[in-house]
Amino acid sequence: MHSSSTNQPNTSRLASILTDIHFWVPVAVLIGGLLLLRFIR
Amino acid sequence: MPPVSSSQSHPAIPDASRAKKLQLLGIVSGFAAGAWLGAAEAPTKLVSIGVSPMVISLIMVIGVFLARWSLPALILGTSSVRADVRRAPHLVIWALLAGCLWAVANTLTIFAIRDIGLSIAFPLWNSNSLLGILWGFLFFNELRQAGWRRRAGVLGGALVMCVGATLLAIASSSGHGPAAHSLHGVWAALGAGILWGTMYIPYRKAYLTGMNPLSFITFFSFGELGMMTVLSVGSLGLAPLWRELLGARSVIFWLMLGGFVWVIGDIFQQYAAKYVGISRGIPLSNSNQLWGLLWGILVFGELHSRSSSIYVEVIGGSLLMMLGVGAIAFSSASGQEQTRWKDAAIRESDRYGVAADFVEARMDGRQLLGELKPSRSALDWLLVLLATSVFVIFAAMARVPQMSLHWTPAALLTAVLFLLLVICGLALWRTTRFN
Repeated sequence: MHSSSTNQPNTSRLASILTDIHFWVPVAVLIGGLLLLRFIR
Repeated sequence: MPPVSSSQSHPAIPDASRAKKLQLLGIVSGFAAGAWLGAAEAPTKLVSIGVSPMVISLIMVIGVFLARWSLPALILGTSSVRADVRRAPHLVIWALLAGCLWAVANTLTIFAIRDIGLSIAFPLWNSNSLLGILWGFLFFNELRQAGWRRRAGVLGGALVMCVGATLLAIASSSGHGPAAHSLHGVWAALGAGILWGTMYIPYRKAYLTGMNPLSFITFFSFGELGMMTVLSVGSLGLAPLWRELLGARSVIFWLMLGGFVWVIGDIFQQYAAKYVGISRGIPLSNSNQLWGLLWGILVFGELHSRSSSIYVEVIGGSLLMMLGVGAIAFSSASGQEQTRWKDAAIRESDRYGVAADFVEARMDGRQLLGELKPSRSALDWLLVLLATSVFVIFAAMARVPQMSLHWTPAALLTAVLFLLLVICGLALWRTTRFN
């Protein structure tokens, strides 16, 4: 059984986030949504 | 220390009866979510009495913020939120991102309701389920090794929903309000659908990694309130926004109540996404379309004096969408597919160094062996007291909007809401203790 604590260093975690497509897809959609809102207003 | 590698030690899946129970729980949560989310949209009808869409959205988000902090504090206590964040701190980023997506989508829905009406806008933004299925398949192994019958159920259901949405879009362009606004309303509703459909990527990621839905929504609220504040101030300016808020004080309570009701629906939706995945959980939650239609027609008198062909298109489109939802609901995940879900969970725990035993326990809707039971502190009760006080203060200022409302159907629909709340809440408590 593995330990229940999280030990990933912060730099490694940040790199994991920035190379994760699960991060970039929502970011791209959010930007698109803001542009649409601007257009509609 | 490198991320924990868990692929060797994960047992396959929880025992069959437990897995079946969790699937059923997810389905019931999805339907309860639909009822509550549908009811929450009703207060946005107040847009017709001249309050700015931005202000309506901001006030609803303030209600949502209060609910998102007070309800988790009441149900489990903030100690459980802190423990979850210590285990998977990276998910705070996704919670904030999801909150921002929600705020923009919600604002778009207000514009959509203003331009094309609740009955029509609702099914259009509910196209988010199609996107949810795609993201679930691409990113989280949903519908992998599901077998042709289940795939056909989910994909066929999605296709039927598409036809229904198209029918409703045609109805929207046939004479409701100015043509230019009608097109804007359709874009706004579809845009909201895309934003909400994508918002489920963070949801699923969080729940595969073991975060409690109640913890996730707590941080989500900062994203949505922050984004909504930026949008409102950027759009109106601080002084005009303040003047509008003062001018709208008699309806603030109703809008905040809408936000509060939305959060209850969203909590059920989160549990649906957790236990049946987003490809099934979102369409189930999207039964809110039917509830929205019921509120719109029975309580607010929508579609009154419109031509019969519009009625046929709107009702026919809605029924088609519901048929699709039904097909998806009856295509629950098989053991093999759940094994693929577990693979996706292992990938997440490996990537971010989250303990595998924690991920496994939470996927099974239970606490980790030896984990402290969540408890409420004075801080939790203070949060509940503060949120309640804010609602009471605005309730004292509230006036019933001067609109033609039908109170008997409103009372009946409210009674059904509470019945679902009790049934689903008890089922979640008995099976998972809200884990």
